[in-house]
Amino acid sequence: MPQSADVILSASDVSKAVAGPDGHLQILDSVSLTVPTGETLAIVGASGSGKTTLLGLLAGLDNPDSGDIVLDGSHLNRLDEEARAALRRRRIGFVFQSFHLLPALTAEENVMLPLELEDSGGDARSAAQQALASVGLEKRLHHYPHQLSGGEQQRVAIARAFVHSPRLLFADEPTGNLDARTGRAVSDLLFDLNQARGTTLILVTHDLNLAQRCRHVVRLDGGRRVDEAA
Amino acid sequence: MNIFRFAARALRREFRHGELRTLAAALVLAVAALTAVATLGQRVERAIVASAAELIGGDLGVSARREIAPEFSAEAQRLNLQQNRSAEFPSVVFADGKSQLAQVSATDASYPLRGVLRIRGSDGSERDVNAPGPGQAYADGLLINALGLKLGDSLELAGKPLTIAGEILRQPDGGQMFSLAPRLIVALDDAQSSGLLGVGSRARHKLMLAGDAAALAQFQAFAKANLKDGAQLVTVAEAQQNLRTAFERGESFLRLAALLSALLSGIAVALAAQRYARRKIDEVALLRALGLGKHRVLASLSLTVLMLGLPACLTGAGIGLLLQQIVLNYAGNLLPAAAPATSLLPALAAIAVGLAVLVGFALPPLARLRDVPPMRVFQRAVGLRPRRFDLLYLLPPAVAFGLIMTQSGNSTIASALAGSLLGVTAATVCAGLLLIVLLRRLGRSLPGALRFGLANLARRRGLSLIQATALALSFTALLLLAVVGPGLLAAWRADLPPQTPNHFLLNLQTEQRTSVETQLQNLGAKNLNVLPLAVGKLVAINGKAPRAEDYEDRRAAGWINGETRLSWSPALPESNVLKGGAWFDGKATAPQISVEQMWIDMLGLKLGDTLSFTIGDRRIDAQISSIRQVDWTSFRVNFFVLLDPATAAELPHSLIASYWLPAERTVELRSISRQFPNLSMIDINAILDRVRDIIDRVSSAVMAVLGFSLLAGLLVLIAALNVSAEERRFETALLRTLGAKRGQLLSTVLGEFALLGLIAGLIAALGAISAGLSLGRGVFRIAWHPPLLSFAIGVVAAVALVTFAGWLGTRRIARTSPVLVLRKE
Ligand SMILES: Nc1ncnc2c1ncn2[C@@H]1O[C@H](COP(=O)(O)OP(=O)(O)O)[C@@H](O)[C@H]1O
Ligand SMILES: [Mg+2]
Repeated sequence: MPQSADVILSASDVSKAVAGPDGHLQILDSVSLTVPTGETLAIVGASGSGKTTLLGLLAGLDNPDSGDIVLDGSHLNRLDEEARAALRRRRIGFVFQSFHLLPALTAEENVMLPLELEDSGGDARSAAQQALASVGLEKRLHHYPHQLSGGEQQRVAIARAFVHSPRLLFADEPTGNLDARTGRAVSDLLFDLNQARGTTLILVTHDLNLAQRCRHVVRLDGGRRVDEAA
Repeated sequence: MNIFRFAARALRREFRHGELRTLAAALVLAVAALTAVATLGQRVERAIVASAAELIGGDLGVSARREIAPEFSAEAQRLNLQQNRSAEFPSVVFADGKSQLAQVSATDASYPLRGVLRIRGSDGSERDVNAPGPGQAYADGLLINALGLKLGDSLELAGKPLTIAGEILRQPDGGQMFSLAPRLIVALDDAQSSGLLGVGSRARHKLMLAGDAAALAQFQAFAKANLKDGAQLVTVAEAQQNLRTAFERGESFLRLAALLSALLSGIAVALAAQRYARRKIDEVALLRALGLGKHRVLASLSLTVLMLGLPACLTGAGIGLLLQQIVLNYAGNLLPAAAPATSLLPALAAIAVGLAVLVGFALPPLARLRDVPPMRVFQRAVGLRPRRFDLLYLLPPAVAFGLIMTQSGNSTIASALAGSLLGVTAATVCAGLLLIVLLRRLGRSLPGALRFGLANLARRRGLSLIQATALALSFTALLLLAVVGPGLLAAWRADLPPQTPNHFLLNLQTEQRTSVETQLQNLGAKNLNVLPLAVGKLVAINGKAPRAEDYEDRRAAGWINGETRLSWSPALPESNVLKGGAWFDGKATAPQISVEQMWIDMLGLKLGDTLSFTIGDRRIDAQISSIRQVDWTSFRVNFFVLLDPATAAELPHSLIASYWLPAERTVELRSISRQFPNLSMIDINAILDRVRDIIDRVSSAVMAVLGFSLLAGLLVLIAALNVSAEERRFETALLRTLGAKRGQLLSTVLGEFALLGLIAGLIAALGAISAGLSLGRGVFRIAWHPPLLSFAIGVVAAVALVTFAGWLGTRRIARTSPVLVLRKE
């Protein structure tokens, strides 16, 4: 499928099934979507509807059984795992519901991680410090994750997600583990980034308020796309 | 990314976690045990060679009935060897009208080159000295008493007055081994000036040498080419052979203990690495999601472990070196004055083994992390894919096998050990699988808590099997160390019985036999054993004259150029075992011989080969009809070559006797010696004492190393049980949340652990018994009877230990609030 210049991510007829204990389980059934560059997309749906699975496929963490995903010009199913890893390293940032900071590393070191993985040269440390400053954590550089509150941890995770200036940012229920106010602050941060840097934002959420702030919404039910555009 | 920095950081932060510390501790222990044992072995072996030199007062020598030709001395000088000239002869000594026959050593001031000459001076103090100066003499207590003298008095030797400057307490035995007369040491110049060494004297002259091995070898070659007129080489070979054999078995114990601790460490490393890997799954999933390639995941994990392992191995080597030094210090005068320096080679080898253990046992669980799917960052349910067979699983057994082969130093030890460990593994896996099947069948009929506990075993099948195998293997090693090792050791010590022959009697003539035997028995001699002795020369092997340079084994030269002592006996002598062929049946028409294994190996012989000897003016061409192995530590008279009695009947020969005599009656042998002046009597008490000494000290060293290895074993147990405690945390907390009573929780765990301990303990006991039996028979040649009670106690202890550990782990969890545990997960 040709991808127009301003579409950064497109999926066509993506399906995924697993062999569960009770036999074949269709998690995703022919899901298609497109996301224009620099815009925001929310994936919503009931628990177990396949949101996270879709997000993982879109980010190249796993392969669909069928269908095609084109991310920033690359057909993911034509890349091997190493090439997809390289793609993730350079173009993608992640934010998770449960933060996923490495407990052994300080906030600063956690944020440096993507730069170190890429070995991009340049000063990883000062880049990380800037990123942390822009999420308001310039005073917590040397704290370890267990010394930070949930909201602070998620802000560190966000700093880690954009420190290497990715083209896309994937977030799976980024506010799911936070109280309403902290959640609000975290999502503000994500939208600010989208605005300021033009980073395409794709997020999975239960939170309708959060979903409504996105330009596009994809609704899943039982692995099928059920919103109007479908 | 800079993997090194990353790995270093991971290590720094993660060292506080148990697994990495267990891993490091296991490596430290393994390398320390290996280093200590290998270094100790090497040093003691060198010491034994040196202490054999101590017995003859030098490394090598030439002796002759006349003055030693000057070219020997010149050659020794050219080779920078230390020299000592001496002459020994019997002479009557006078004092105050009394006289006494004494064995006199006249020696220059360099005596002794090896070993010590210790005297008590006239001031009563003991000191180590060299030969006496002109006009002085050292005499032993017998001589001083016989002449009714005291220290400082003077005696007369060949008309020359000498002052008794000291009483001989200890002396390198040298030529005196052949004499029972009281001893006197004088200056060589005094003996010469009093004409005692002139033409027609009965003196035996000696030139003893000491120095570095290469020069000695050169001198030996030179001397062999130039010996004439009955001159002989004096070597340490015989004394060494006895000492070395005594040590070899001790060394086998040491190696066994070290090997077991290395294997135990391997298990501990594997378990710790497995736990570490489990804990790292989330982190690896994250790194993979963030775009870290598979290979770099593996590289950074391996690097972390290596960065931990290398210093751990170095520390282990350091501790090992320290430990062997402590053992040596404790072993005290086992080593002669010139204690051989420590070589670092064994330590380096131990470090290499440690790294092999690390790679072999830690790599497989870590390598599995390559396959963590990045999708796991989102869904914890996405675990490791059920894997196909992975070649890496062969690595730990391969490394274990390699270790057993290279470190046991003995193929019998290797096969006994490998066999029993393999058997234990197989038996545990089979028993485990069988049990799981049974539990599935019976499960429903068991009472509640027990059913749940046993269901746990069945459900976590893989883990249960790994855990049971690790437990069984470590119990096997522990039982080998705690029960089998000390048992064999005790049997070995008892193996040199109190009445081991301590005297030899040479040159006994057939017609003197009855009289001498009766007199010896009257003196209280025990274990008397008399064999014929003929002296011959090996002149052909399969019809061809042998040439020393054709044999790699340097010992061959001695036999090819020198004399061979032969004997014969109608029955296979005691302390001989047939290794091949059949003992003489008296029906053969052509001459036959039985040859000892050492000769077979040295000269590359086989059954059916023909050896030709000249004995007197006869030549005998005999076919090898049997191969024997002699237990040289029996200290009986034994021979490398035995002729068939029919052929030997007419040969010119003398008799050789060995017997045990209580030390206090040794003096009375003099009457026999006077009556039959042709007899040569050899007192080997000095050698025997040294052998006993070595056995005692080596056994203490072995016990120390055994204890050390036990530590390694306990570490494994802790590691193994930790794995399951961790596994159980979540589950226990959940049960607790659901309202399970503490009693229920405990009986669940106890049921599970007790069964695990019982299976592992029983199989381990069987494995250890079978290994002990084959080690006893095959390696140490000891009849070892498995102490069944100790093994029963071992099994009970295994059950108790495992259950207790399980209870301990669970009790802690059961006490903490379940909410806390759940939240932490
Ligand atoms: N690897 C897997 N194996 C088995 N079932 C899975 C796997 N991944 C997802 N599922 C199932 O697929 C369904 C969708 O999961 P998910 O994408 O996580 O849904 P959501 O994020 O919308 O809650 C769920 O029922 C989940 O249990
Ligand atoms: Mg989800």
